[in-house]
Amino acid sequence: MATTALTPAYAGRRAGLYDWLTTTDHKKIGILYLLNSFVLFFVGGMFALVVRLELAQPGLQFLKEAAYNQAFTIHASLMIFLFIIPILAGFGNYIVPLMIGAPDMAFPRINALSFWMLPLAALLMLSGFLTDGGAAAAGWTSYSPLAQAKYSGVGTDLWIVAVLLIGTSSILGAVNFLVTIFKMRAPGMTMFRLPIMVWTMLVTSLLVLLATPVLASALIMLFIDRNYGGHFFDPATGGNAILWQNVFWFYSHPAVYIMILPAMGIISEVLPVFSRKPLFGYKAFVFATAGIGALGFSVWAHHMFTTGAVYLPFFSFMTFLIAIPTGVKMFNWIATMFRGQLTFSTPLLFALGFLTMFLIGGINGAFSAAVPVDFALHDTYWVVAHLHYVLFGGSVFGVFAGLYYWFPKMFGRMLNETLGKIHFVLMFVGFNLTFFPMHILGLEGMPRRIANYAPGQADWTALNLLATIGGFTIALSMLPFLWNVLVSLRSGPLAGDDPWEGNTLEWATSSPPPPYNFDHLPEIRSERPVFDVRHGLGKGRTH
Amino acid sequence: MALQSTTAVASHTGTTGHAREGGISNVILGMILFITSEVMFFAGLFAAYFNVRATAPGGWPPAEFVGKLHVFPLVGVATTLLIISSVTCQMGVWGIRRGDHTALVRSIGITVVLGAIFLVMQATDYLALYGDGVRLDAGTFGTTYYTLTGFHGAHVLAGVLMLSVVLYRSMAGQFSKEHHDMVEAVSIYWHFVDVVWIVLFSTLYLIPNPA
Amino acid sequence: MSISRPRRSRLATIAALVAASVLVAGCNAVDLLRPPAAVTAQGHEISRLYDIVLAIAAVVFVLVEGLIVFAVVRYRRKPSDSSLPPQIHGNNVLEVVWTVIPTLLVAVMFLLSFESLNKVDAVANTTDVRIRAVAAQFQWTFQYLAPDGQTVLFEQLAPEMAVPVSRTVHLSLRSKDVIHAFYVPQFLFKRDVVPGRENVFEFNVDAADAGQTFSGQCAELCGVYHDTMLFKVHALSPEAYDAWLQEQIAAARATPPPAASAAPGQTQIDLTAKNIAYDKTSLEAPAGQPFSIKFQNDDPAVSHNVAIRDAGGQEIFRGEIFPGIDARTYPIPALAAGTYSFSCTVHSNMTGTLTVK
Repeated sequence: MATTALTPAYAGRRAGLYDWLTTTDHKKIGILYLLNSFVLFFVGGMFALVVRLELAQPGLQFLKEAAYNQAFTIHASLMIFLFIIPILAGFGNYIVPLMIGAPDMAFPRINALSFWMLPLAALLMLSGFLTDGGAAAAGWTSYSPLAQAKYSGVGTDLWIVAVLLIGTSSILGAVNFLVTIFKMRAPGMTMFRLPIMVWTMLVTSLLVLLATPVLASALIMLFIDRNYGGHFFDPATGGNAILWQNVFWFYSHPAVYIMILPAMGIISEVLPVFSRKPLFGYKAFVFATAGIGALGFSVWAHHMFTTGAVYLPFFSFMTFLIAIPTGVKMFNWIATMFRGQLTFSTPLLFALGFLTMFLIGGINGAFSAAVPVDFALHDTYWVVAHLHYVLFGGSVFGVFAGLYYWFPKMFGRMLNETLGKIHFVLMFVGFNLTFFPMHILGLEGMPRRIANYAPGQADWTALNLLATIGGFTIALSMLPFLWNVLVSLRSGPLAGDDPWEGNTLEWATSSPPPPYNFDHLPEIRSERPVFDVRHGLGKGRTH
Repeated sequence: MALQSTTAVASHTGTTGHAREGGISNVILGMILFITSEVMFFAGLFAAYFNVRATAPGGWPPAEFVGKLHVFPLVGVATTLLIISSVTCQMGVWGIRRGDHTALVRSIGITVVLGAIFLVMQATDYLALYGDGVRLDAGTFGTTYYTLTGFHGAHVLAGVLMLSVVLYRSMAGQFSKEHHDMVEAVSIYWHFVDVVWIVLFSTLYLIPNPA
Repeated sequence: MSISRPRRSRLATIAALVAASVLVAGCNAVDLLRPPAAVTAQGHEISRLYDIVLAIAAVVFVLVEGLIVFAVVRYRRKPSDSSLPPQIHGNNVLEVVWTVIPTLLVAVMFLLSFESLNKVDAVANTTDVRIRAVAAQFQWTFQYLAPDGQTVLFEQLAPEMAVPVSRTVHLSLRSKDVIHAFYVPQFLFKRDVVPGRENVFEFNVDAADAGQTFSGQCAELCGVYHDTMLFKVHALSPEAYDAWLQEQIAAARATPPPAASAAPGQTQIDLTAKNIAYDKTSLEAPAGQPFSIKFQNDDPAVSHNVAIRDAGGQEIFRGEIFPGIDARTYPIPALAAGTYSFSCTVHSNMTGTLTVK
């Protein structure tokens, strides 16, 4: 009968979707992370464009202040909590078990749970726009008392619950990564043979494990303040406004490293492969990563230099110290390229973009470590420039490097190189056009988070217009990227197991890898087992 | 070390975990890491508590709350019961390590009952305090008191639920001398909840006002 | 060496080009990448420190970026590269060097900034010029205090602070609601205004800047109309400042004039402020005769007023500043026909046109 004939096809299709919704395979969950993050990257990007459009000219053209404040708050919250942090966890999810030769994460079902909290959190956060007071508008930092019920509406409650969910997801993910890395390495995969990407995920997971719960406690206290008459953070009722900042930044500074370390890991995989050399100074790199993680817990108050409530020299000193391990990494990356044979494929271009942008992001951060200079620059567009050079020029360029690098492994097909290069050039130019002028705006005294500025202000108008043009150039660069992904998914050239001559274990299995990843593993004698096999160096070599 | 991995053919397809020899199991390591994050969660709450306590303008407790918290009769007894429950829980673990199912079921059963009694006593104490004017919205004192003890109570509740699952599964005979990771993991969690209470109890009831 | 001669000369050309463009761009960039000229002693100190950090930053950037560019240009893979490049895993000497040099560099930067911080943050607390900036959603007021630091001599409701040059000004900051930040770009300085704590700092405006006005603005997100919290700092000569202060104190002590009411037959214009905006952006009034503006302030607790400027920007009328919800009737003197602008003294973004004909 016709109906029975149709059944298998339907069942098959439904099983496909059902399979994605119920999967516990780390690779599928990893791809879900990437998909969800990219959707929210585009939503967050829309908010950024709205902000740039409003600032292109003095005066209020498109938005009232209330809507503007919601736009930048949700832009930052989406980009930080629902794009950068999760997408790096997504790469980790996909790649860490493969790199250590494991069949899956240690707790596959908890892994699925971690992911599914994220779309829910996104819906909660965005549903603020449907409430009377609009979405959260107190900035992603939600400083009290501004974030108290007296000054902000239900959108802030939704924001709190959403961030709590994301935090829970991160903590469960971190436990999962740590157990996976500690307990599920293939025979021979000693700690000092772990790919750097795995090391950065390890340190990142430790940061999440120790820092995120503190944010959770802060959010819960804020929620109690707002809804049950609590008195933690509102000085009007005996609380302490600075306490919120201390607890918030105790998480949110390590969060910066949560957002950059895995991207550094990606770069540390891409540079050696496309230079045909090992990473220069592997152990120094590992120790630098651990050092950044450890120092990350002692610098939170450098976000609070102008509060008058922190011991400035200590936090200034610790902040300067961060430059040392970061510098070590920079030199290691450059030395990796020296005397190598560089192939300028798209992943390497994005990695080079990362190096340059992150260099600027590190250097302009040093200005703010000098406390008196920070008195001038804090809360101005200089800081907006700095954080975007680190989190966009750094992390997001790292994300794209990783995506172009591992796409063939994930989907079995190559991305188009020409479109990839167009994407890179547009994004690189657009990025600098957007964010470099912000240094000058900040120096000239333009504060962050203002919807309007006076027409007479020096060259604010010209610089803002430039930044807006840059912002739309970045948006434009997404078109060749999306087109590339859509076309290549269907008809890109087949990748084969190891299109880049990779070093690490994910290139020793098929593209995409089968369930449980490996039919057999090569011998692991160094941090580059696949390289060793390719060049017959496997036997008798110790590292 | 150099020759330990001659041919590493994956024979593990279809299972998770390489079952690396030695060391603790995935479940127990996962629980320990999770508890680490819980420690940081409570650290955040304690930091807030000590901050408001240290900066309270009229000393601590504020004048209107002096003498409102009573160790006896309820809290002291509840504390004792919780400490005893940690011991009974551990006896269950020792039992199953020997393969003694009866000891496991009996000890975990007692632990669940003790945990439940603790919760009932805490609820009773809350009612009394509320009647006495110590409310969640009554100044920083009330806010911190209920937030700290409330979140601890929630953890006790979670512990009781997990112990109940352990109890159910032990009665169904699902644990053995070799395979009882869940019992070990839940008992670690229960000890953690107990330790938090001891610290919390000392902080709220015993540390004298430095002034 | 293995580098062939033609390639070496090409490399040299590229290197020279890169160096030249960096140099040219660098010279222009230096001016753009410096803060505005400081007008306080503390600002000069910060500016000096900034220049040192900028110089170090520029050197580090050119060196490191130069290494990146060099590697990219020099080590691209050539078709002839069939064998692997040397597999270098590290070099202890090199790694120690590039750990130690940055360490020394940051140590120097820390010491310099520490020394500078002590000067910038110094509060001697010996000056007679004591002002308290009071921030609230969404306005600044300035309380001039007696030498005891407590007694308020008078409160300036307009967001305009007058300070003497060449004398130390002791500024304390107080918030009535959320966190704000006092920021004057030309001071190269800001300090948060935190409810529940009183932050204090001191500054000395340069003698050469007497007569100048500096604009400032709230730098910490404080709610919907954060962008409207602008203020001005007028630098006066010490004599002008003393005279101004006495005048203001006298005015504050004088009994306020009786509330003016509109004379019968006079034109009365209605104007309302709500959500930090006027309900009308253009008003009309008859030429050559007095008229009145009935001004309704519908923003709870937020202060507004109406001030009128002539086409040349000269303020010819300033109505009383008062918090909402309340109303005042402002008597406006006779104006010659022409176009005037009206605005709120507290929120300079609230403006409109007054046509007199």
